[in-house]
Amino acid sequence: MPSWQSRALTVAREDAMARDRKHREDKVMTLRDAVHEFVSDGHSLTFGGFCGRNSQAGAYEIVRQGKRDLRLIDDSPTDQVDILIGAGCVKNLEIAWQGVSIFALASNFRRAIEKGVPHTVEVEDYSNYAAGLRFLAGAMNVPFLPTRSLLGSDIPRYNRKIRIIDDPYGGKPVALVPAAHPDTTIIHVQRADVRGNAQIWGHLANDENKARAAKRTVITCEEIVPEEAIFRIPNMTAIPSYCVDAVVQVAYASHPWSCYGYYSHDVLFQRDYARSNETHEGFLEWLNKWVLSCEDHQHYCEMIGTERLAEIARMEQALNRIPI
Amino acid sequence: MQQTEYADDYSFAELMAVVAAREIRDGEKVFIGIGLPMIAGFLAIHAHAPRAVLFFEGGYIGGRPPCACTDVGDSMLGFQAPYVTSLWRTFSDLQRGYCDLAIIGSAQVDRFGNVNSTAIFDGGVYQAPKIRLPGSGGANDMASSAGRVLIMARLERRRFVNQVNYVTSPGYIEGPGARERYGLRGGPAAVISDKAIFRFDEHTREMYLSNVYPGVDVQYVRSEVGWDIRVTQDMKAVDPPTKEEVRFIRSYDPTDVILRRRGIFSDIDFSSWATLTRSNWQKFIPQSKP
Repeated sequence: MPSWQSRALTVAREDAMARDRKHREDKVMTLRDAVHEFVSDGHSLTFGGFCGRNSQAGAYEIVRQGKRDLRLIDDSPTDQVDILIGAGCVKNLEIAWQGVSIFALASNFRRAIEKGVPHTVEVEDYSNYAAGLRFLAGAMNVPFLPTRSLLGSDIPRYNRKIRIIDDPYGGKPVALVPAAHPDTTIIHVQRADVRGNAQIWGHLANDENKARAAKRTVITCEEIVPEEAIFRIPNMTAIPSYCVDAVVQVAYASHPWSCYGYYSHDVLFQRDYARSNETHEGFLEWLNKWVLSCEDHQHYCEMIGTERLAEIARMEQALNRIPI
Repeated sequence: MQQTEYADDYSFAELMAVVAAREIRDGEKVFIGIGLPMIAGFLAIHAHAPRAVLFFEGGYIGGRPPCACTDVGDSMLGFQAPYVTSLWRTFSDLQRGYCDLAIIGSAQVDRFGNVNSTAIFDGGVYQAPKIRLPGSGGANDMASSAGRVLIMARLERRRFVNQVNYVTSPGYIEGPGARERYGLRGGPAAVISDKAIFRFDEHTREMYLSNVYPGVDVQYVRSEVGWDIRVTQDMKAVDPPTKEEVRFIRSYDPTDVILRRRGIFSDIDFSSWATLTRSNWQKFIPQSKP
């Protein structure tokens, strides 16, 4: 059998399995099981959120399970990916920006690239719009999309996957960026039903497209709600159940990031992360305390303290409330 | 008309935010990067451009958070926002030409206003540079598609270089005609440093020293620029910030997280931070009708 035929068969088998998974009526599971089942060594991965509504809990669980050689395809994944890099889980990065809020450069990212600590990580640069278009192309099932960004810069010079062509309809040049189809995405949302209809308040980042572009989509949510609650405001369903493989209820999963309508940004936790992270040893201590020693995210929340979490929830709800 | 009261106690970083704010005209749609640009944007709305609309790349557009945020995807940016959407949609609106102005940060900027925020090679290579910086984020997109671009840069010789080793965000690229060849609109309008403002010659597209800040020596500025920079004929110092501008900046960033001038942020504990933040919000939340 020619190799393209055997490849096509494998893809067809995987598609059928994915369809079965995505058809289930109840996809609720624990975060531990979801990461165990849907994230494997060598997988490509993307996280939802964007400097807010991040999937911090998902990243912590990946570290706990010691996943290796992950390939991150993302826009601006910030500290959740910095933590994965420092923990030695990451092989390469296709990203637009990697820092820790405004507090510091991402130290693990820098140490890996500049000094190979804990090991070398390869990076492929895009811009945020280019990253967004990669997920849009993936979600549309087209091989690439054109943009007017990137032209005249050195981003395409060092990233050969970006192609510059003349507009075939006779206009000026455009840059083409390749579609992204990550193996798995973990996206945190405010509310979902047990089938995975996921509703998002506040910015959507690239999450509608990441959920559709990825082969496996894990939804974590602040609350699981009855489907009647979804039916009342179907326009808020950014991610429909047919692209979802797992639904996990994880309160405060974005901490220290903000989650619109639920809690505000715990700025000081991130200040302290950036400070611990000045050396690799300091980072390992931080990791041990906040991730490896915590059994799960609930345990992490207990360590943060209920009063502190209640305060960031009050702060958020003084400004932003979800109406229903 | 009331006479303007200038502040005498202010930092250069605060003046930098003020100078950037003054470039924003009322009603403009302004795409805002992380950090100081956010202070500049909300100061402009407070001081002279109440109808300006600020775009934040995560998808928050036109919000009025009651204090400065540390990030461009913070939920507070959704407070009083008329429109909240996705990242690719926000950038598509930028690419479509809806944004008059963008304000970006930089690690290095060169003679033609090209910005590097990716890596300082310094003997190393792209995959293993001396210093790896965060990367473009949305800066490349803003520099490519906004009507005008303001570049924020601290004035230091290692930051103002003749030619950047990596163009993350295009300025005038190799000079006259280059943006036009690529079909790019706009281009850098100014580089706003903590000591002086630089602008670009219409014909040569080269950066020149346009205005110094009060008390700053022209020769000192030239010595911090890595090439022989031209100085405008009619050099004037910029107006200092007004008392009101300084008051706004300090109360809009009550915990000092953006400017880090007053040493509050480095040691503050959680409950003091929460109390200080919340008590300051009241100044910026419009009172709702009974």
